[in-house]
Amino acid sequence: MLTLYRPGTGWLHRMPAGPKLLLILSVVLVVSLLPAHWSTAAIAALVAIVGYTVSGLGPGLRGIRELGHQMFSLRWIMVITLVSQLIFMGPEPAVANTARVTAAIVLAALLSLTTRVTALLDAIERGLRPLERLGLDAARCALLLTVTISTIPVLGRRAAEVRDAQRARGARNNPQTFVIPFLIVALKHADELGDALTARGVR
Amino acid sequence: MAHPEPLPNRQDRRRLDAKGLARVAVFAAIVAVLGLPGGFTLAGGVPITVQTLGVMLAGAILGPWLGALSMMVLLALVAIGLPLLAGGRGGIGVFFGPSAGYLIGWVLGALVIGLIVHAAGRKPVVWRTALGIFVGGIPVIYAVGVPVQSMITGLPIGQTLLMSSAFLPGDLIKVVTATFIVTTLLRAYPRAFARVWAATPSRGLERV
Repeated sequence: MLTLYRPGTGWLHRMPAGPKLLLILSVVLVVSLLPAHWSTAAIAALVAIVGYTVSGLGPGLRGIRELGHQMFSLRWIMVITLVSQLIFMGPEPAVANTARVTAAIVLAALLSLTTRVTALLDAIERGLRPLERLGLDAARCALLLTVTISTIPVLGRRAAEVRDAQRARGARNNPQTFVIPFLIVALKHADELGDALTARGVR
Repeated sequence: MAHPEPLPNRQDRRRLDAKGLARVAVFAAIVAVLGLPGGFTLAGGVPITVQTLGVMLAGAILGPWLGALSMMVLLALVAIGLPLLAGGRGGIGVFFGPSAGYLIGWVLGALVIGLIVHAAGRKPVVWRTALGIFVGGIPVIYAVGVPVQSMITGLPIGQTLLMSSAFLPGDLIKVVTATFIVTTLLRAYPRAFARVWAATPSRGLERV
């Protein structure tokens, strides 16, 4: 299934998921807490550029190009933040806050770019294990996440079938006429999935 | 181990059985699929995302606890890097962006919707469904979303509220749509709710 992961062999790719999560989150947190000064804009931009160049995303300018991709996908968030703050608060907070928010988001994206979903799933299961004393079942949580991941493409196909069926009958494409049949198909799938899980020993 | 048969409506809050697990997984997937491209256009050709419609349905159909859990599952998958939010957004970065609070509000919103729609385990009726979906779907989500957005972007809370009120008309349409869907589903496919209701109160009244 489609993920945000980009294959690679840099040091950030090879770093274990748990420590990597903590490292990236602490950098993001520091950037998020910068005050609304002009200097913040420069620091935020610098940290983001350095972050993407030193994390070993690929040879040459590969990291910078990736940063460009990430920022392009954030263009609307950047525009809306910038414009609303220009209107209400003036240029200095507008530029500083926009740079800070953008840098935090692109730096956090380094986690998904360099870590496989399976590695993060394992990290979550390990991270939840201490909570088992509170009655939380870490293995069941991991199972729940895995089952959901495998269910999404199945329901995606079912949704396409429902849409095709409606198009064939000339129905208009609006939420009510699609969602009700799709929900029924999906919840029937849930019944089958529950039976299948029970048959495999999940209680 | 002789388990007493639990009441069908009372999901055991501590333990998630296979059936509950499947329903939670499927609903998280439903909300993800509702955010996929190829979505809908309203009258006038305005493209809309129906992902928040899915949030409203999760609470109303699964009930408070499983509904909230399905939203937590969806957000966990987003956090570990699946692009499941409308527009293909995903990754832990979204929790540092302006919409972080609204996403967390989904969990609380689904919980509140479930609590009101299924209050005291009674069969949902139209007014309670509409009320629950409205309260959990708009005030609750905004109550978490707006302060967090204000905190993240540094824009004062009043102005942030003003900006996000641009989404109110769309959200109100979604409340109406979700209410219509839930009441239709109650008649067309009551199994969707996986609950057993006592005989309708009106019949009881007739006998009095």
